[in-house]
Amino acid sequence: MKTFLGIFVSVVLGATFCFVFWIVVSHDYQWDAIAPYKGNFISGWWTTLLISAIALVGSILIGALLTSGQLSPWKVPRILSRSFVELIRGTPLLTQILIGYYLVAPAIGWDSRFGVGILVLSCFSGAYLSEIFRGGVESIPSSQWLSAKAIGFTDAQTYRFVVIPQAIRRVLPASAGQFANLIKDSSLLFVISVHEFTMQAREVNANTYATFEAYLPLIFGYFILTFPISLLSRSLEKRFAYEH
Amino acid sequence: MSIETASLTKHYVETKAIDNVSVSIGDDVQVLALIGPSGGGKSTFLRLIGGLESPTFGEVTVNGITLPVDDSALREWRKKNGFLFQSFNLFPHLTAEENVILPLAEVHQSSQEDAKNRAQEVLSRFGLAKHLGKQPGQLSGGQQQRVALARAIAHKPQWLLLDEPTSALDPEMKAEVLDLIEELQKSGQKIILSTHEMGFARRASDHVIFLSDGQKLEEGNAEELFENPKTAEVKLFLEKVMKW
Ligand SMILES: Nc1ncnc2c1ncn2[C@@H]1O[C@H](COP(=O)(O)OP(=O)(O)OP(=O)(O)O)[C@@H](O)[C@H]1O
Ligand SMILES: [Mg+2]
Repeated sequence: MKTFLGIFVSVVLGATFCFVFWIVVSHDYQWDAIAPYKGNFISGWWTTLLISAIALVGSILIGALLTSGQLSPWKVPRILSRSFVELIRGTPLLTQILIGYYLVAPAIGWDSRFGVGILVLSCFSGAYLSEIFRGGVESIPSSQWLSAKAIGFTDAQTYRFVVIPQAIRRVLPASAGQFANLIKDSSLLFVISVHEFTMQAREVNANTYATFEAYLPLIFGYFILTFPISLLSRSLEKRFAYEH
Repeated sequence: MSIETASLTKHYVETKAIDNVSVSIGDDVQVLALIGPSGGGKSTFLRLIGGLESPTFGEVTVNGITLPVDDSALREWRKKNGFLFQSFNLFPHLTAEENVILPLAEVHQSSQEDAKNRAQEVLSRFGLAKHLGKQPGQLSGGQQQRVALARAIAHKPQWLLLDEPTSALDPEMKAEVLDLIEELQKSGQKIILSTHEMGFARRASDHVIFLSDGQKLEEGNAEELFENPKTAEVKLFLEKVMKW
């Protein structure tokens, strides 16, 4: 039964792979058509990188804020952060981008696609990061708290010297994974016409009708960004496994 | 330096971990041993005396002054003592040396240099000079417990509180650690310890309290209590544990 399943899965996967490979290879490429737009791809790729980098910092800050809110001894910050996290995690990113740009931003008189896009991405990714961070803090055993208390540490000192340094090590692999998601998610910003990588490819496609040639670079462009992170995340995971 | 408890009581949800215990530990007692069956309340009693927890009823009095209930005021009392737990409780992300330096520098306001010198001094005294730069994960159980002991005495505590300091160790490592504790006793350190090592309790302590089901069944001079237990339960317990 097991071998049969193994063979079946291999056949299906192999066939699918061959099919896609055949489509990609057999296509009659017209690279000349998109050649004049090379600059658009490059600028789109850099914009995606820039947006992701800024949103990365933003999401770490927001994630840390939401985590401290959720772990706070006071009820109000706890409820507020919890609600925010649940709301963000319970709705699609696309909806958040649209509402953020077409409803919230005009209401406060802010008209920057780029800025709103980065902020929405930061909030979205920050909510997920905060869950990772919280898990990390809560994974520190109570014996560490007892030990810190016995030494005479305050709660703040315990967080600073004992809990956070250990939690950071533990959340690094999962956080790296979340950063890869952030890069991919930034592609949704095309809906508010931020000129990132995906948006540029769409425009090239619209101008040239060379769909294949316009979209294929996206695969490589995103993969170059996310693959190193994925490798890093895995090696961090391994190191963590050895340490414990 | 005297410690008294009056009707000391600690309830957890379902258990009376310490039930109405009154003892008076005079100035003349240098080493107090807490013995008794597992679950008898030894650890809880130590945590109450050391100010790691507050009693449900009753109080602990030190030199005629009642320990405060407020946690930050209690911290002042905790700082004066040194704690050692059964399961080492070192900070795994710091080296042996850093584990000793951290409380000196952050709680006792020593300069980094003084703290470092003091850490090297106590660690060398405990035969750990070669292991200063190792993290707990790279040390044997006995070595870890010696580092923890070094951390507990580095600030010259009034009382050294030891909760079953050797019960997680192999016989050989047990001896290493018990030797050190005896050496501390001989140098005049005041000690309260809970232990299942009856031989050690008998040899090193001058006062013994027997706790069972949260209650004080007997107390007295070590020699007396071990030679002539007054209650049948203590007698039975001693016969059982001394048999092997
Ligand atoms: N934090 C806690 N929450 C709930 N119950 C507790 C807690 N700490 C101790 N107890 C209970 O209180 C009783 C006394 O426990 P304590 O650890 O003080 O005993 P002990 O004499 O140190 O035992 P041992 O020799 O096994 O270490 C036990 O029944 C235990 O289950
Ligand atoms: Mg115990």
